[in-house]
Amino acid sequence: MYHYEGMYYSRARIDLCENISVSAPSPCPQFNYTRAPQRPPPTAQKAPPAYPVRNPFPQLLQTPSGLALLELQGTINVPAFESEQNSHAEDPASAESASYETPIGKLMFPDYSVHNPDDTKWMKRAYLYVGRYQRMTGEVKKLPRPIAVLQKRAGAVGTEELEIVEIVRYKVFFKNRPEPVNNV
Amino acid sequence: MATQDSQSILFTNTQPQQGFRLLELTPELEELLSSKDAPTLELKSPSAALARAVVDPSALEYVNLCTPTQTYRIRQVQSSNSLHILRPSLGQISQADIKVVEAEAGESGALKLPDEAVTAIAKCGSTLELHVPPTGFSAVPFLEKSLRLYDRRSGDDDGDIAMDEVSNETGGMDPIETRKLRDRVCADIPVSSAQCESGWTDLCAFVDVKQGVSWRPSAQMRLKVWKRLMEGAILQGIDLEKQFLVADLWRSVLDDDDASEPPFPRALLEAVARRLCVADERPLLAHEIKWASFDRTECTQWVSEIYLAATAPTPSSAIGRSDFLRAWKDCLPESWRGDAALSKLQEGSYQSPDPTTICFVEPSQRQQVLKTSAAAPAAAAAAKAKTTRNWHELLKNQKRR
Repeated sequence: MYHYEGMYYSRARIDLCENISVSAPSPCPQFNYTRAPQRPPPTAQKAPPAYPVRNPFPQLLQTPSGLALLELQGTINVPAFESEQNSHAEDPASAESASYETPIGKLMFPDYSVHNPDDTKWMKRAYLYVGRYQRMTGEVKKLPRPIAVLQKRAGAVGTEELEIVEIVRYKVFFKNRPEPVNNV
Repeated sequence: MATQDSQSILFTNTQPQQGFRLLELTPELEELLSSKDAPTLELKSPSAALARAVVDPSALEYVNLCTPTQTYRIRQVQSSNSLHILRPSLGQISQADIKVVEAEAGESGALKLPDEAVTAIAKCGSTLELHVPPTGFSAVPFLEKSLRLYDRRSGDDDGDIAMDEVSNETGGMDPIETRKLRDRVCADIPVSSAQCESGWTDLCAFVDVKQGVSWRPSAQMRLKVWKRLMEGAILQGIDLEKQFLVADLWRSVLDDDDASEPPFPRALLEAVARRLCVADERPLLAHEIKWASFDRTECTQWVSEIYLAATAPTPSSAIGRSDFLRAWKDCLPESWRGDAALSKLQEGSYQSPDPTTICFVEPSQRQQVLKTSAAAPAAAAAAKAKTTRNWHELLKNQKRR
């Protein structure tokens, strides 16, 4: 296991945003993959899960690639990744091994039952615990329009290629502020 | 508490995070991508020169997403909500920090940790949305700027342009080279290839393989081609409304005496034939147009437009209406003359500076006319919304997320 001296990864917390603004800025300058062919993987829908681990999400949220969307009002603050502390992380070969996970909290779908996956009432309630004393209440929502998750295709030489890794149709949405709770 | 019993999932954050983009799909696009042989999509933006030449009033810089037939403008929509992309955890969880989630060991001495975990691997502050403006996308303005104008004068002044090789059977029309040159032009045009193709056909654009140049014929040139092919067809007894061999039409255009020097390149004749061909018989640009039959209504209208564009391109050069009607009739085969009437002209394609005259309206100008009339009510509503002090009205038109 990796050690992070003097760094407080436990301080993951939620910053609330007071206002929600949706703006339409001029197209992003960094989105300059002009004339790059963009090829969705032809087998995306049938591909076996990319991760050998079991997907703990309710069936509805599971996608072939295992990717799911979670939206919340606010930001989860985690200390910035400092590469100088992990000098070998700059070596792309070891990047995978250098990745680490910081616990934030727990995700719960209190009304979901694996025995009755077709009943969608459970979607109305979802909890996200941040740390031990804060809880957000949200729900699982069907996206009005499905969202394609794009990623740069690795190893494309010359032209930049984007790949549609997944098409996601649901999201876990926490629109409310966290409320204080007792330890659960 | 109900939450006590239900299964919980450990939620973690992975460092370093990965880069993702989220793109909201339209129903058509979703269907296209979910289909078995999903096509490759393209992200296209105009070359710097084209972007300067064809100014889009709504955006200085833009990227369009093109399917084989459709074009969408990509718009980045920011949200202060954060969208995290999750995936099942790989289990590399920092044990030192686990107490954030679970304080004390249970009776068994182990932490009451959830068995399973998901982890956030990326955060997106914005999504990309797709839009199609009400006027749609057209390749024509871009093609007009990127293709060289082929005019009668360029043929006369510049001896090199005389198509000395064109009289060969191949007519200097190597299909592979033609396609390569056309694709090079279309690569910089930020619309789908089907829209490029339809714009290309509309303009009667053609490729001169020998010189490696793509041309768009001027209105005068198109009129000249039309007159010539109509005369040829009459002389050779080709009924333009019935299916005929384009090669026969080409032969009818060539004079017997100076067959070595055709009046214009064969590729131009074929481009015009393609333009006037009955729409559902029109072959793809990649295929040779071997047979054709002309659509009489379309043809009549097209002739009127190119005649107007050639003789009265601006209000200051407007011509008399009766002169125009007479000339138009003269440009048509005998049996079609009755079709020439002002009512047959396309709405907006002409204007009358005064009651007796008529002149041409450029297609680009026409769109603006339509746009301003369509935008007027929306603008009025926006102006009204701006003057109100009611927040609900102010924000009503904005999209919320």
